[in-house]
Order: sequence, then C-alpha cells, then structure tokens
Amino acid sequence: MLFRRIYQFLIVYSIGLLFLLLIKSVLSLSDYVIPGVGLIIETFHNVFDTYFFDVMNTMSVTVLGQCVSIAMAFGVGIAGRRSSWMGSFIKVTAYNIQAYPIVALAPIIFILLGDGFLSRLLIASMICYFPLLLSVLGIMATPVVDIEHFYIITGRMRWQLEVKIRAFENLSKLTTVISGSATLAMAGTIVAEFIAANAGIGYSIRIALYQSNLAGILIALFMIGIVISIYQGCLETLGEQIKTRWSVSKRGNI
Amino acid sequence: MMKKQIFILLGVFLFTAALAAASHADEIELNYRLKWLFNTSVAGDIYADAKGYFKEAGLKVTVREGSPEKNAINELELGYADFGVASADQVIRALDKGAKIIVLAQLFQVNPMQWIYRADQPEIKTLADLKGRNIGITFGGNDETVMNTIFTKAGITKKDIKITGVRFDFTPFFKREVEIWPVYRNSQGVILKDKLEKEGEKVYFFNPADFGVNFVANSIITSEKTWKSRSEVVKKFMAALLKGWEAAMDPANEPDVLIDVKKRDKDPNDELRRLQLIATRELIKPSASAKIGTIDVDAWKQTETIMLNEKQIKQPVHVEKFLKN
Repeated sequence: MLFRRIYQFLIVYSIGLLFLLLIKSVLSLSDYVIPGVGLIIETFHNVFDTYFFDVMNTMSVTVLGQCVSIAMAFGVGIAGRRSSWMGSFIKVTAYNIQAYPIVALAPIIFILLGDGFLSRLLIASMICYFPLLLSVLGIMATPVVDIEHFYIITGRMRWQLEVKIRAFENLSKLTTVISGSATLAMAGTIVAEFIAANAGIGYSIRIALYQSNLAGILIALFMIGIVISIYQGCLETLGEQIKTRWSVSKRGNI
Repeated sequence: MMKKQIFILLGVFLFTAALAAASHADEIELNYRLKWLFNTSVAGDIYADAKGYFKEAGLKVTVREGSPEKNAINELELGYADFGVASADQVIRALDKGAKIIVLAQLFQVNPMQWIYRADQPEIKTLADLKGRNIGITFGGNDETVMNTIFTKAGITKKDIKITGVRFDFTPFFKREVEIWPVYRNSQGVILKDKLEKEGEKVYFFNPADFGVNFVANSIITSEKTWKSRSEVVKKFMAALLKGWEAAMDPANEPDVLIDVKKRDKDPNDELRRLQLIATRELIKPSASAKIGTIDVDAWKQTETIMLNEKQIKQPVHVEKFLKN
C-alpha cells in the first residue's frame, strides 16, 4: 500500500515534469519561465535541507489539524446520526456551513489570531473537517439493518454499540475518507502558510513565487508529494491493520 | 412588409459591422501586461488608453491588469503579451536565467518601495539610526534585498536590530509591534499615513535612495524578438505610452486623470486616490525638467551589483546592454 502510493506519485510527478520540459523545448523558453533539468538539480541541492524541515513543519500542523477535525467530525457525526430534531438540525447546519468557502475566511482568521501556529492549525482543520463530517454523518446516519435489528429486538442496543456497528461495517469507507482527508488537511495548511503564515512549505513557495523561482516551486511540490504519499500510505496500512485485528479479536462479533 | 423591415435592419447592421471592422483593420493589436492592479500607480497606462493615444498611433492595445501572480516576462516569452511592466529585480533575474528581454523605459525615477515609521520615534537621519529598531521585511521580496544592502552598507549586523517578517496585514504596525514597516510609498504609504494622521499621529518615510541605495523599480519591457523585428511598432507604442504618462502626470490634467482611473480602480475613496496620484507624480516625475521614462543606467548597475552581492543572481548579466531608451 505504502510503496504503491509512492510509485503512483513518482509516475504522476515525472509525467508532469516531462510535460513541462517538453513545452520548454518546443517553445524554446528560458530557464526563467520553465527551469531546465540542470537548474532543477542545482536548486534541489541548494534548498533540500530548508525545504525538508519546512515540509516537516507543515506536516506536523497537518497531522494535528487532521486529528482535531477527525475528533470533531466523529463528535458531530455521532450526535447528528439520530433522526430526532437535534440530529436533523445538526445535519442541516453541517450541510449549509460546508457550502461556505473556508479559504475566504482565512484573512479574518489571520487578522484575529496573527500569522502563527494557531491560524494554520485552524484553517487546516476547517478545510479538512467538512468533507470528513459529511462522510461520517452519512455513515453514522445509515442503519445496518441486518445486524442492528437483532440487538434492538433483544433490547441490548446502546448508542455506543450502534456507533461501533456502523463504524465496523463501513471501516473501508472510513479509512479511505480519513486517508483522503490528509490531502485536504495538507492543502489547508499550505494555503494558510501561503496566505499569511511565517513558516512551513507554503511560506517557502510564496517566497519562491516572489522570486519567480519555478525550480524551487517544483522541488517543493516534489517534497510535499512524497511526504503526503508516505503519510497516506501509512494511514491506509493502519486502517487495514485495525480492520484485520478487530475482526480477528472479535471473531466476527461486535 | 415585416420581412422587408427585417432585411433592411439586417443590412444596416451588417454595413455598420463591416465599417467598424474596416476601421480597425489597419490597427495593430497589442497586449500590454501591467505589474499591478488598476490604480493611480498605473495612471499613465490607463490615461494613454482612455484618451486614445494608442489609437492615434494606429495601435489597438489591450491594457491588462497585473497582480502578484502575473508575470509580464513569462507572458512575453509565451507570446501572451507584447509589452509589459516588470521591476528591475525581475528583469535582472530573468536575464540571469537566459530570458531575452529589453528594457524600453524606466517608469519610476524614485523607487516607491520605502519604509514608514511614526514621527514620535527618533528620525532616521543616518543609517546607524536603524540600530535597535524592529524593522519589517517581506522575506523573499525586494525590500529584503534592499534592507540587507543597507545593513551591509551601514555595518549593521542582525544582532543590532530586530527583523519581523511582514505580509499584507498592517496590524503589527498599528499595534506598534513593528516600528518600521515596508510600504509602496504611493499606495499603501498614502493609506497608512492618512489613517494615522486621522488618529493624530504623524509619520516619516525612510527612502533607501536618500542613503545612496538605488534599487530600480518598474520599467517597460518587451522581448528581444519584438524589439528587433517590430521596431516601428515599438516606437509607436512607446511614444503613445509616454505621451499618456506625461499627460497623466501633468497637474493640470489631475481631475481628468482621476475620472479615468476611477473607472477601473475599485477603491471608492476619491480623496485617497487623489493623494495617491500626487505621491505617484513625485516618484515618476520628481522634477519639472525630468523626462518620464528616462533610464538611470547607474541605478540599474547598482541594482545588479546589489543582487549579485545578495546572491540573487549567479553571475553578472551586464544589464546596461539590455537598456534601450
């Protein structure tokens, strides 16, 4: 799973890079517009250390932001799974709020909280949170009739059990959603850094853009891609392991 | 009867369209990419277009707004633009990477990139007065390059000052967390000065040129190919554009210029726009005898030296060879 993710990224990145180099060659563009291979390699040597720590910095905010949004999404998703008045209210509110572009709020967040760690964390969490919430709400609000019916009839159904059944039956879907939301959290963090933060790879991309340094931007994209592929691969592997262990330890029983 | 009327209407329409097409047939179509948004800092470009100076020269010029993400040099190479505005650091960086571009005129005779600070703080009379101050810098921006040059010139080390990275939000300056804040003198500088003066605070501007650091700002550029193969078009374009700038910077035309700028500038504040136009005039035409567009070759050479010292370029590009006034 992990290596497949990395291969996939390397293939996509190489195709993109080759396409750029092809355009450069066909249109006879200078290194200023599209850098040549030599300049890209030279830039890689020059910025690798700095960009590596920048990506790690961004990654730390991403992971934390994703954890916060997963916790929030499950909290709200579990609360909103009921077909009661409160459940319906939570669902409608979530669907309506998610329609608002979070990036548009970013400048307000920066003015209120400054361009430090908290702003980046908040924006990353918010961008990652809503798609997660909608999936979790959908999963938690859909009964697994075959299984739940037995517990309801025997009077053993509790809300914790209901959540467990629905999570277990949709574990693959949840793993995919959580893994996919890692990209959103990363994108959110980078957007935040790009707009106004003073650290992270988004901030470095901004500086490279100021200096029309496309080689720097390409290196940054490469490092972001590799790191996010590893992270997503790890999440997927973890999801698989949890599923296997859960079904083995419970021998198929909830 | 009805059919006949429709045919007549259609005939009139087609005749008008053909006439309009014929009148434009001789015009040469050009794209001109600005460096920044439509506001008073591009008043001359707007005025040349609005007053029909391009049309008089037989040109049909589409003046396109710039932004931080739009780069005229890239557009020249990709063929999306025929002329553009770029700052000297962009030009020198592009030359360093093999771009073939020519500088046709230097718009700002004084660089608008300056620093604002409150008048209740000690005035910066010598560069040594910067010591102990908290100075704002846009990391990666040309203000960082300029300030680093000033530090080197004054023998100021990072221990002597406090540097804070800044962005578009002025809050740290308003809250006095940062004392000396980088601004474009004719846009943000005017806004900040106005806001602080309303609060009863006076301000000063720190202009690096006053201390011998001349870093060139915006200039008109074209590709080497256009310059060589379409020299007549280049001459016509430049004549019309500079005529527009001369007229726009003439105080007698101020009300007219403000009306034309307002049509494209989204900012609703008329008084601020007027103040920004005055500030722009002082940077574009610092004296009555100054000819708009004059290229200050020494300042360009100094800009290149600064960038070389700051390791922004790998080798000398001999920028003077690409200045064709």
